[in-house]
Amino acid sequence: MKITICIGSSCHLKGSRQVVEELQYLVAQHNLKDDVDLCGAFCMGDCVNGVNVKLDDEKFSVSPETVKDFFEKEVLPRV
Amino acid sequence: MNNLCTDIGYRSINKHGEQLCGDQVRVIEQDDNSTIVVLADGLGSGVKASILSTLTSTIISTMIAGSMPIEDCVSTIAATLPVCEVRGVAYSTFTIVRIVHNEAAEIIQYDNPHVILLRGGKNFVYPETATEIGGKTIYRSKVLLEENDAFVLMSDGAIFAGVGKSLNYGWQRDNIIEFLETVYDSGFTAKTLSTILLDECNKLYENEPGDDTTVCTVKIRQRQPMNLLIGPPSDPKDVNKMMSLFFSKEGKHIVCGGTTSTLAAEFLGKTVDTGLPLYVDPDIPPISKIEGVDLVTEGVITISRVLDYAKNYLETNEQYTDWSYKKDGASLISRMLFEEATDINFFVGRAVNPAHQNPNLPINFNIKMRLVDELSEALRKMGKRIKVSYF
Repeated sequence: MKITICIGSSCHLKGSRQVVEELQYLVAQHNLKDDVDLCGAFCMGDCVNGVNVKLDDEKFSVSPETVKDFFEKEVLPRV
Repeated sequence: MNNLCTDIGYRSINKHGEQLCGDQVRVIEQDDNSTIVVLADGLGSGVKASILSTLTSTIISTMIAGSMPIEDCVSTIAATLPVCEVRGVAYSTFTIVRIVHNEAAEIIQYDNPHVILLRGGKNFVYPETATEIGGKTIYRSKVLLEENDAFVLMSDGAIFAGVGKSLNYGWQRDNIIEFLETVYDSGFTAKTLSTILLDECNKLYENEPGDDTTVCTVKIRQRQPMNLLIGPPSDPKDVNKMMSLFFSKEGKHIVCGGTTSTLAAEFLGKTVDTGLPLYVDPDIPPISKIEGVDLVTEGVITISRVLDYAKNYLETNEQYTDWSYKKDGASLISRMLFEEATDINFFVGRAVNPAHQNPNLPINFNIKMRLVDELSEALRKMGKRIKVSYF
């Protein structure tokens, strides 16, 4: 599975770094490094709802506060 | 004609407790491709010294620029400078370096520590002829230029650094030569080399300089073009035009902005490789890669950091210790623009990012335009030739 996190200007200011780091941490903690591919991407054109994160082709709105929740509800069941 | 140009950078520190500097540097660029640099050190310190050195440097640079002989300059200064009540003399020492057609340097020195010429990072002893003018001994030299020559001009505050503090007798010109040979790196800009020497002097003075101290470096280097693209064009039909103009330019290419780099990658038939974002600096968005582009970064946040560095460069240049080695987007751009480039072409797209048109977002179109304006102005002040094209 591929998780793409927007690192464009707007999402950066809304905390994409924390989202990236938290996801890296969670992926490592659940031993999912071989199953989950984390990568960055530039603007997805939906800055208002940033931080934008895509699970394969489906887009989600995540924030540093909700990233753990997002990981448990959306990422884990799909692995 | 050759492809050389001059990079001039200087900085002063004031005598401890003084608000004005008694040293002055004047740089005059002439139409015939000549540059005149005058460093004057007024007698004493504070207001009086500042007036003396300002008068001296202004008179000399104006007269030399008008092709007047040095004899006339000296007699004019002697006749013009107000006489010091305490000491009964009118006095300001000076060093003049005139770079003619970027081929030869003429050095005229009166009572300042003699100019140090670093050629290939090593001290180069140049011939000097002494002349008496109005009872003053003036040393004149002529040097044919080579690439990477660095002329280091200084006021006597530099060689007195540390007297009675960290050193008994200050350090001598020879010690400064040794120091410069040790720290020298051909990548340093004139401003950076001046800053390094001045910081060392200030350290010897234990941050309380006993005299105004000024270092001015004149570096001879090759012209180096650089191109920076930021923002998509306001009319989407112009994308190809903008990209082909940008990529046809000689020199390195920097692309800033997410949407912009996507367009650049499409034009080149490549992909933007973001990889797993690597945060070298927590505040600066990660860089990415496109084959055929020298550097790909995010837009406004990165550029606004570059602007901070540029403004600091023009003042104390203390932040060079940050941007001179770090690997985040802003530091990389700073090194390419401040150190490598002499001629910079900005390609600025005026498209308004629809995703940013929301009052809840901290970014808007005006910020981007203002950043480009301010940055190009700062780079001009660094002595770079700037061309900005809007699309």
